[in-house]
Amino acid sequence: MKRRPRILMVVLFSASYLAALWWVFTRSAPLVNARPVTIRVAHWQIEKGPPEGFAAVIRRYEELNPRVKVEQVAVPGPVYRQWVRTNLTGGTATDLVEFAYWLQGMNDVPVRYFEPLTRAMNEPNPYNRGTEMAKVPWRLTFADGLYFMLSQSPEIGQIYGATLSQGSSRLFCNRELLEKITGTPAAAPATLVDFRRLCAQVADYSRRTGHIVRPLAGAYSNVQWLADYVMFGTATRMSLELDREGYLGRAPWQAQSDYLRGRWTYRRPELRAGLALLREMTQQMRPGFTQLSRDDAIQEFVRGEALFIYSGTYDATSLKQLAAFPVQAMRLPQPTQDDPVVGPYIMGRYQDGGLGTGFEMYLNKDSPHKAEAVDFLHFLTSVEGGQLFMDHSGWLSSVRGVRVPPELEINRPTSDGFSGGFQYIGVGASSTMSFWQHFNLLVGPQGSVDKFVEAVETGLRKQVTADLRMEIHTFLDASRAVDSEIMAMSALNRLRAPDPERDLRQRTLACNQTLSEINAYQAAWVLEHHGEKQP
Amino acid sequence: MIRRLLLWLGLASALPAGLRAGPDVADAWELVGRHLANDARAGLQAGQEHGSRETVFAAAVVGMDTQPVTEAGLRQVEARLTELARGGDEIADASAYLIGRLYQAHFFTPDYPRAAQEYERLAAKSPGSYWAQLGLVKLALLRLYLLPEPGGPAARLAAAEALLPRLSVLDLQRDAHLVIGRAALFHEQPMRGVLAHLLEADRLGGLTGLRRGELQLQIAELSRREGRWEQARIYFQRFVDENEVDGRVCIVKLKLAEIVEHQRVEGKRP
Repeated sequence: MKRRPRILMVVLFSASYLAALWWVFTRSAPLVNARPVTIRVAHWQIEKGPPEGFAAVIRRYEELNPRVKVEQVAVPGPVYRQWVRTNLTGGTATDLVEFAYWLQGMNDVPVRYFEPLTRAMNEPNPYNRGTEMAKVPWRLTFADGLYFMLSQSPEIGQIYGATLSQGSSRLFCNRELLEKITGTPAAAPATLVDFRRLCAQVADYSRRTGHIVRPLAGAYSNVQWLADYVMFGTATRMSLELDREGYLGRAPWQAQSDYLRGRWTYRRPELRAGLALLREMTQQMRPGFTQLSRDDAIQEFVRGEALFIYSGTYDATSLKQLAAFPVQAMRLPQPTQDDPVVGPYIMGRYQDGGLGTGFEMYLNKDSPHKAEAVDFLHFLTSVEGGQLFMDHSGWLSSVRGVRVPPELEINRPTSDGFSGGFQYIGVGASSTMSFWQHFNLLVGPQGSVDKFVEAVETGLRKQVTADLRMEIHTFLDASRAVDSEIMAMSALNRLRAPDPERDLRQRTLACNQTLSEINAYQAAWVLEHHGEKQP
Repeated sequence: MIRRLLLWLGLASALPAGLRAGPDVADAWELVGRHLANDARAGLQAGQEHGSRETVFAAAVVGMDTQPVTEAGLRQVEARLTELARGGDEIADASAYLIGRLYQAHFFTPDYPRAAQEYERLAAKSPGSYWAQLGLVKLALLRLYLLPEPGGPAARLAAAEALLPRLSVLDLQRDAHLVIGRAALFHEQPMRGVLAHLLEADRLGGLTGLRRGELQLQIAELSRREGRWEQARIYFQRFVDENEVDGRVCIVKLKLAEIVEHQRVEGKRP
């Protein structure tokens, strides 16, 4: 009797010991980290898709690089600016940081806190070996050759980041609802006439069934994207007419100068027509949409209360995963030359979606593991990394040579159309704020194009003057910062072995600085002769 | 044992200065080139070459970049540069050029006539130096837009064009032609003169990237508006060949087709 418990104890002890051994060798984390280097990557793309894309790339990268552990830090968009600024200032920021030129109040950040990647961009990406991009300089492996990033660089000619994705704005459709409303497995609207007809059918369906459905899910952000699309096409002819310099496009400082010289106002017929079309489109959204956020519009759509949502392709994965019905992405039909509202001002098909790549990752100047961080960035933006990111995120990759699945082809921006480069939804921070502050006079129940135009034009001269002053300030700030760099390149040429690349950099900086000053001084001339005088 | 220790000490003292610990001024310049002004200043203070012209010059340039930038700080930089500019070496010319830049772009209230004076003085002293030549390009900008005299556009352009024969560095000749050509366009001067400057800038060459594409487009489009079909065609075609990802390629291709049609109608193309 006494032997049995003892045997039981021995068996239990042995079993526990074996289980512990199995756990230690197969499941538990090692007492000492087998990966001596940890790099962290921060981004604000917490929609469905990108975190999964990152995770897939990291898994593969860690297989290839047993020394390195990569952690992604997803930070919500509303606090991202403060988070980045605080951590960069405090020296606690991640090794790679998502950043964008349009983040307000952050112009100083790249030059102050990020390490330029310009030199590395001239060399092939080592992770592209064995692919068609093997010998292509890293910069040119991106779909836009980082053209967009270069044109927005705070420091002339300097590349500070690498992009992961590209996208456009698309009309996302609730297929089930479309069939219910039209009674047939309807095709996507091909023309604006089709779209208008469909909007009328939606109104009829709501009346007949009592199930209130709007043609378009509405929110302030979605209207901004819609306004971009509508105004861009309508204003193209005017932009090209204003282009005295022959650049076939307008930059903000040129549009501001044009306004102050009296070359355009919102009273011009093409802009009035664009605004009329915008009003017509917004009437297809629920009342009060200007008070609603992007998430509200997504919820309206996934609840089946709107047939379409016009949004960026960055919402595509979220919409498909959140909706209980099949979601189809399609292009918003463009107005044609026979359109009753804007037809006379339409030159033809215009570009649909920005051609620039985005989701920019920057290298923290204070990173203790710069070499590893750049190596990870190389992998992330290689053909293999880009493919993994796209396959797991549903976001179109920025990398050339990545195979795009047919269902994502629709997200690809199109370049086979006219472009004037400007939307005239304001022409700078102050005038844009004024545009949206008065927007209710355009889209509200009692609103009209006349009311909006008269209200927005009052005081616009002062706002555009402020915008142009800010542009000049930005040009000159950037130009001033270049002086010390030019001197440094020259001194290094004097003190160290000759380096043709450094010499070229010095000459390029000097040239770009001068050309940038041409713009600044032309803008200053306009301000002096045509701007609103300060009291 | 003592003998061996002395031998090691002797060897250590014989090491060249560059191999000893402590950053040299070139390291500081590397940091200046990356806009790490505070690190550069610390490096200069810890360095071995206190008081050399190279170190004083580097410290002055670091002073221009050190935050917060103050008027008093910039005045100190000017004093150092003025001292350095009295020499006869490259540092003297670079310092004189930077004094012009201080008055043109760095002081909180620019003094354009004074900047012009500094550039003129440098060009008179060292006409062939790179810095004097770069100063002449900046002087052209000042004459075209910022100096009170000469007043009218034609006179401003003539004053800027007068600087061209003094430029011998090819890159800077090109930049001066771009400056003058674009000013002529801005001041609504005859297109023939505008195009002449832009074409000359293109002939001198060396532009890369966005700037190269901009010049090609500008020459092409302005030529097209003047009815110089063949010139427009050549430059539009170059733009298309070199800029496959630019958003303007589509419209350029349409313009190319129109030009070919014009040429066909005029019998200059089969």
